[in-house]
Amino acid sequence: MNEPLVQFRAVHKRFGTYVAVKSLDLDIQRGEFLALMGPSGCGKTTTLRMLAGLEAPTSGSITIGGKVMNEVPPHRRDTPLVWQSLALFPFLSVVENVEFGLRMRGVDARERRERAMMWLGRMDLKGFESRRIDQLSGGQRQRVALARSLVTEPEMLLLDEPLSALDAHLVIRMQGVLTRLQKELGITFVYVTHSQSEAFAMADRVVIMGHGAIEQIGRPREIFRGPKTRFVAEFVGRNNILGGTVKAGLMDSAQGPVSVPAPDGPAEIVVAADRVTVSRNRPAGTAIQASFLSEEFAGTGIICYFETAEGAEWKAQVSESQLAELQPESGQSFWLSWDPARAHVMTG
Amino acid sequence: MKTFIGWAYLAALFAFIFAPIAASVVFSFNSDRFPTLPLGHFTTDWYARAFSRPEVWQAIGNSLIVAAATSAIASFIGFATAYTDFRYGFRFKPAYLALALLPPTLPLVILGLAMLAWLSQVGLSGTLTGIIIAHVVLATPFAMAICRLRLSQMDPSLESAAWNLGAGPWTAMRHVILPFCAPAIVSALCLTAAVSFDEFIVAWFVSGLNRTVPVLILEILQGNVDPQINAIGTVVFLTSMSLVIAAQFLIFRKRRHE
Repeated sequence: MNEPLVQFRAVHKRFGTYVAVKSLDLDIQRGEFLALMGPSGCGKTTTLRMLAGLEAPTSGSITIGGKVMNEVPPHRRDTPLVWQSLALFPFLSVVENVEFGLRMRGVDARERRERAMMWLGRMDLKGFESRRIDQLSGGQRQRVALARSLVTEPEMLLLDEPLSALDAHLVIRMQGVLTRLQKELGITFVYVTHSQSEAFAMADRVVIMGHGAIEQIGRPREIFRGPKTRFVAEFVGRNNILGGTVKAGLMDSAQGPVSVPAPDGPAEIVVAADRVTVSRNRPAGTAIQASFLSEEFAGTGIICYFETAEGAEWKAQVSESQLAELQPESGQSFWLSWDPARAHVMTG
Repeated sequence: MKTFIGWAYLAALFAFIFAPIAASVVFSFNSDRFPTLPLGHFTTDWYARAFSRPEVWQAIGNSLIVAAATSAIASFIGFATAYTDFRYGFRFKPAYLALALLPPTLPLVILGLAMLAWLSQVGLSGTLTGIIIAHVVLATPFAMAICRLRLSQMDPSLESAAWNLGAGPWTAMRHVILPFCAPAIVSALCLTAAVSFDEFIVAWFVSGLNRTVPVLILEILQGNVDPQINAIGTVVFLTSMSLVIAAQFLIFRKRRHE
């Protein structure tokens, strides 16, 4: 019943001497929206391409629906992919593009036209069926690509950075379209992206990959607030990382002793930028001293950058009014403090 | 002023290139036996005489057969070569490409001699098949270059997208690669036909008694200066030009689209 739709077991992929994916173990559940996220070269796209059969694993096994798929060529799988470049066929009209998958499966002309038109309607593209692809806007092409992939009613849809070519406001709209679609269809979405805002906004579970291996799997909030490794903490969000040895609740960090709710031994803590308070005078409790570098406007607030005497960079998110009050100037010294209970202790 | 000089320069350039051809066309309709000014009166007599000769028709027939066969075979090989280059990476690819593009850089006299020697070895010298083989060698690189240009404009994920949607490798070739390359392939057909239809030196070496039109023209010229040459030349020129213009048109039209 609860058998996962996809299982990666000890999957390795090498290109010559380059290891793209190493010992990957991953289960993808039926009906979930899974995001594979990581910086470029982390192996996320290779993982997706192996799922589509465009690359074969060097070793290990990939099963889909209980069947080992390692040697199954792409055209004998039901794993439609929405390409980063969209890869729409420029010599076919919109409706012919959408029909393509059905035509390859030998569905007769009348039925495939009907089903393609149904999907065009669903994607708000009614009236565009006989247009050429180059007569459409970016957002419309995006929806044609989706319709083309979904027309065969697959169990799973693969998406390879499909929104990377769109304007910011269209990205938000398409995110809404995608999440709604995934809920309505109840099928599995596997979504590859390097953008954490896309991954966190849409996915049920996020897989963070780095250097060909999985760093952490979890729900967006778990990963955002509780990064397991230094890699994840640095890749996700604006985090400050502090390391040292804990003794009786006190860590001897490079920035002096800080109180850490962790058992004795070496530890690393993560303090999110939005949990750091900036003040001119030393506050009570845990605080470190750092000099102001610069500020950056980031939508919800302002990120201030500091440097400690030891050369570590610290980030703190402040509001506009706080910034006006502090009036920081480059090189000035400030105190950065946080509630030790809200610092996250890394376990990975 | 500057644009005027530019235009004048362009006009002079075109005049320089096309004057001899234009003269040949003009004199083909001129009643005088020798190409001199002032012109005599207008006549189509030279055409009538030239095209009443059976050997002219024979040569045109030969040329058409050779051009058609050359264009089909050269375009097929050219496309296959370009696709191999597009699709596969392999160890000696630069050598493969250099070899594929080599024939037009060889002096035609050398190529003609080599072809004659080789074709007589295999007993094809003096046959139309022999001319076709020689012309395929000569024309294939052009077909390949055109197809390669087109494939370089293709999104490499287009073919994978076809597989991903359920097309096997051959189906993807038929439904995606070939339709995408169609303008280039038609263009290659026209251009290789023109290359073959025009080609004189290699054809002269290997044609024997099966003369093509350019070879026949030379033979008539060796006998005497006859305005019939102008008439035949005009027809050859128009045929080749239409093929080349058709090829160019297809290449430029597809660019406007994308």
